[in-house]
Amino acid sequence: MFDFQDFKESPLMLTMAAVIIGFVVVESIFFMTKAWKRGKEIGMTTEQLKNTVVSSALFSVAPAISILATVVVLASSLGIVLPWIRLSVVGNLLYETTAAETMLDVLGSNINTEVTEASDFAAIAWVMTTGICFGLLLVTFIGKFIIKKISKATAKSEKSSNIADIISASAFIGIISAFVAQSINGKSSDGSSDAGFMSIMTLVSAIIIYLVFETICQKLKLKKLELFATPLSIFGAMAVAVLLNMWLPETITSFTWWG
Amino acid sequence: MAKLKKQKDYFDSVHIWGRVWSIGALLVLFSLPVAISLHYNAWPEAKFVFEALLKLVPLYWVTSIIEVITFTPMLGAGGAYLSFVTGNITNLKLPCALNAMEQAKVKANSEEGEIISTIAVGASAITTTLIIAVGVILFSPVLDDLRNSETLKPAFAYVSAALFGALGASYLKKHWKISIFPVLVGIIILLIMPTFGVSTLLFVTIVAAVVGALVLSKLKIVK
Repeated sequence: MFDFQDFKESPLMLTMAAVIIGFVVVESIFFMTKAWKRGKEIGMTTEQLKNTVVSSALFSVAPAISILATVVVLASSLGIVLPWIRLSVVGNLLYETTAAETMLDVLGSNINTEVTEASDFAAIAWVMTTGICFGLLLVTFIGKFIIKKISKATAKSEKSSNIADIISASAFIGIISAFVAQSINGKSSDGSSDAGFMSIMTLVSAIIIYLVFETICQKLKLKKLELFATPLSIFGAMAVAVLLNMWLPETITSFTWWG
Repeated sequence: MAKLKKQKDYFDSVHIWGRVWSIGALLVLFSLPVAISLHYNAWPEAKFVFEALLKLVPLYWVTSIIEVITFTPMLGAGGAYLSFVTGNITNLKLPCALNAMEQAKVKANSEEGEIISTIAVGASAITTTLIIAVGVILFSPVLDDLRNSETLKPAFAYVSAALFGALGASYLKKHWKISIFPVLVGIIILLIMPTFGVSTLLFVTIVAAVVGALVLSKLKIVK
């Protein structure tokens, strides 16, 4: 499974993976325990807190598989351990791929070619780490300031009206809108997932599956099953994408706005 | 009074621990390239590293500033510290926290929202870490086949459309009047600049959504 002779998958790399990934898990448990205790103190129910854990875990399955797929994509060049570490802590899909590609490009290589020099491998590790650390540095030193400022602003607004609620809801909608717009007419950097027929059908399928499932749950009074609405519609829409690709002619499925 | 003091104590302790864990994470993060360089005596040429960083840093550090300013208030203190350590914020942690708060019917700027967001991000981080670890250890040979499978390619190529369609469904249904304007703004920007980065686009659509909602509220179209 792992080639211990290969410096990219050596015992050192696997030990580092265990330490770094262990750190992330322990930190998550620490903050969850802290929040859980405080939640109980302020009167939140165990069921409400448990539901959050279950729905969040289910919600994360599909994106996690997609992250795993990126680990595998990067593995052909960097071995599997470095992408595994980088995508388990601080990193993200887009950044890690771009960082690795940029460094490999500077070294005169690319993502499809295996890294065979330890110094090149070290350079990639340095670049991936240095580029991504800034957000973490910022939140460490100014996170408290930002949260306090925003809380003060919303507290003032709440006195006179419900503007704080509107701002809060519309900010969420703003996030979703960016991704919805991207699925309607965005263009990916490598052209592999440009918006067009398939992206729009996937988007619409997810919305329809969600709304149908939610309506069924409400009509049949199956409130607990509503937790599964989001993951079900994610996987359902992914399945629709696969089926459409299988059944429809390529001239339709390969249609994108960007040729 | 005592209730408020307890709330303040909780938030203060989250900030203290958040900083401690984040500094710890930075040390752990940099221990990887240091360990690789020390163990293999492989110190890369600085000019190559700087050349790559020069291309990456302007884009990613500016994006980081936008992300911290935009996402921190939505994720709350605990959720933000955890998210910035565990990563994959825009494509996973943030939508996950929003979904959890929506299902629990709590507001992001309330203490209940803070609790739910922290638990959601923690559960998401653990699930993701486990799935990736199990996938890497057990399924790496199969995953290579999956990656090369032409049949499954569309499922992974459009995972973001599936994710945000599912997440957006309940929001767009409930707040459709507020949603039209930011979606249109996003579409128009992408028509002009198709490869506009999603992190920057997010910032624009959030501003559009907030401004649009405030205008609709002023016109009494939304309450």
